Amino acid sequence: MVTGMQRLSAAFDGAAVDRIPVFCNLLDQGAGELNLRLEEYYSHGERVAEAQIRMREKYGHDNVWCLFYVGKEAEFLGCRKILFAENGPPNVEDWVINSLEDIPRLEIPEDVSAHPAFEETLKCLSILRREIGGKYPICAYITASMALPALLMGMERWMDLLFLGPAGAREELLSRCHEFFVKELTAYREAGADVLIYSNPFGSTDIVPMGFFQECSLPWIEKDIRAAGPAGVVYYGGTARINPVMATVFERTGIKGYYMGPFDRVREGKEILAGRALACATINDIALIDWSPEEIRMQVRKIIQAGLPGGKFLFGTCVMPLDIPEPNIRAMLEAAFEFGSLEGGNPS
Amino acid sequence: MNLPPLLSLFSEALFDTDRDRALQLVRDAIHQGAAAEELIFEVVIPALEKCVTDLEECEELNLAQHFLTSQIAADVTEELLPRFRVAPETVGRVVIGSPHGDLHTLGKRIVVGCLRPRMIECADLGVNVSAERFVEEAENRRASVIAISAMMVHTARSEKGCLKVRDILRERGLEDRIKVIIGGAPFRFDDQLHQRVGADGWAPDGIQAVKAISRLIREARPW
Ligand code: B12
Repeated sequence: MVTGMQRLSAAFDGAAVDRIPVFCNLLDQGAGELNLRLEEYYSHGERVAEAQIRMREKYGHDNVWCLFYVGKEAEFLGCRKILFAENGPPNVEDWVINSLEDIPRLEIPEDVSAHPAFEETLKCLSILRREIGGKYPICAYITASMALPALLMGMERWMDLLFLGPAGAREELLSRCHEFFVKELTAYREAGADVLIYSNPFGSTDIVPMGFFQECSLPWIEKDIRAAGPAGVVYYGGTARINPVMATVFERTGIKGYYMGPFDRVREGKEILAGRALACATINDIALIDWSPEEIRMQVRKIIQAGLPGGKFLFGTCVMPLDIPEPNIRAMLEAAFEFGSLEGGNPS
Repeated sequence: MNLPPLLSLFSEALFDTDRDRALQLVRDAIHQGAAAEELIFEVVIPALEKCVTDLEECEELNLAQHFLTSQIAADVTEELLPRFRVAPETVGRVVIGSPHGDLHTLGKRIVVGCLRPRMIECADLGVNVSAERFVEEAENRRASVIAISAMMVHTARSEKGCLKVRDILRERGLEDRIKVIIGGAPFRFDDQLHQRVGADGWAPDGIQAVKAISRLIREARPW
């Protein structure tokens, strides 16, 4: 039987196995799988690992996650309160940075792996590795230097600081976030994560103007990737569009995978990458809540038909909201397996 | 005062997100005898709308530029308001906030920034606002519109959010006086979603929000 890992490796290499790799990013759904409240579920790494394995077996997609929720990164850096909802992702409630004076006080843990907040994540990762390591890619999520401050002080105050200054405080915060980024990514890699999702909304021209991207975002992206190395890294704009920047990022960093936003044009993305890197196209999974199964099938077909020619292609979701009914998840995956089939022909 | 050249200079400053230049331009104009009223209505508002609409048309509207232009327009308005010869007449009142369970603030700040030059009075109720409070504050302030900024799917669709605001308005017979508008990331991903949560309108950005809110203010029965 072909494994998810073989499908992913083949896609990176431009080779063909039975079908394209299909990523389905289910996070909060794990709590329901184990009949737990979200807060209980996320308090134990073994629960997350168990649910990730179960959900992969149940639906048949190709990846699992060691990400609990993005706000965890703020916990590594001193956040003391996360707001848990009954029916949606946890959010940072206690900001680590409340004034400019807090920036020099920001402490970057010496050894991220030894940090208590990382303990459960590492536990989850080691179980995943033991149970399915090498068969199904384990994904980790790492927020880029330039996006991390949004988790520490909120998007509004970070936009103020980033665009209106003072420049000294901004550079200092970015440097500290960069230091943390490199340690975190290295820790994930050493612990056995295969796919390192490099999340950077500020690396999308939906969020910043092209001029700012070139002058400010790109140098920090280069710095991040030069320090951590591009192996296993996949570039992700947080579901914002990345087509306009992919070629530059590829040329300057050597990153080999690009996780596009649902509003990126797939065919255009493939042309931009021109076989140099893996194109990961995504479905709009917020609309997946209310689309009918027939509509879902049509949407999946449209995406895969646009992206399949030439190979080096992956179909995926963003972060699946809890409200998506199970039959819709199944309809999406069945369509992706069917239209993404490579039996009887090499995609290139 | 010859406003068209100023309009194009001010538009340029906005487009370049140069706050200092924008402020200097209106200060110089005031110095040369321009009226605060004409500066707002004939320079600030058209420039803000043109900048955002132009960017939108070439699919280049990005968050940072939208945030900065609305912020500069709001700051310039703040500086000009005390100089009005007659106290500016409020066009309508709005209460705005993020709903139950939602801590995001940036969306409503942009919307408030765009409403400010339009003389629409806007009370910011903050984050994690309960449906009851939205309605109470709107009633107390005799607001015509409740504006809700929801950034996540579960807060956008929640029984405790917009849907409940609608229920309370219905129970209290306030639906003709208070209209509900909603916005935030999930609504940009699903342009039908506003109907499912019982809102009277929605908008994908700050400029469209002003248009939709102005329409709702006109539709609401005056207090
Ligand atoms: C930047 C970003 C981040 C950053 C910063 C987060 C933060 N603290 O704010 C990072 C990378 C850290 C992040 C993390 C997460 N994110 Co995020 N993020 C984004 C992104 C790219 C932009 C969001 C943003 O700040 N926009 C700026 C605001 C101002 O834009 P806006 O809300 O759309 O507002 C405009 C309009 O909607 C309108 N508007 C806004 N309010 C109102 C109100 C009214 C009345 C009107 C008329 C109009 C209006 O005008 C505004 C100006 O144009 C979006 C995807 C996207 N492309 O939009 C995802 C997104 C918001 N994130 C999402 C999620 C799920 C998360 C996480 C919860 C993931 C997780 N499982 O942990 C975490 C939460 C982190 C936390 N807070 O603890 C989802 C939310 C949808 C959902 N599934 O529920 C999105 C939509 C991505 C997706 N498609 O899956 N995120």
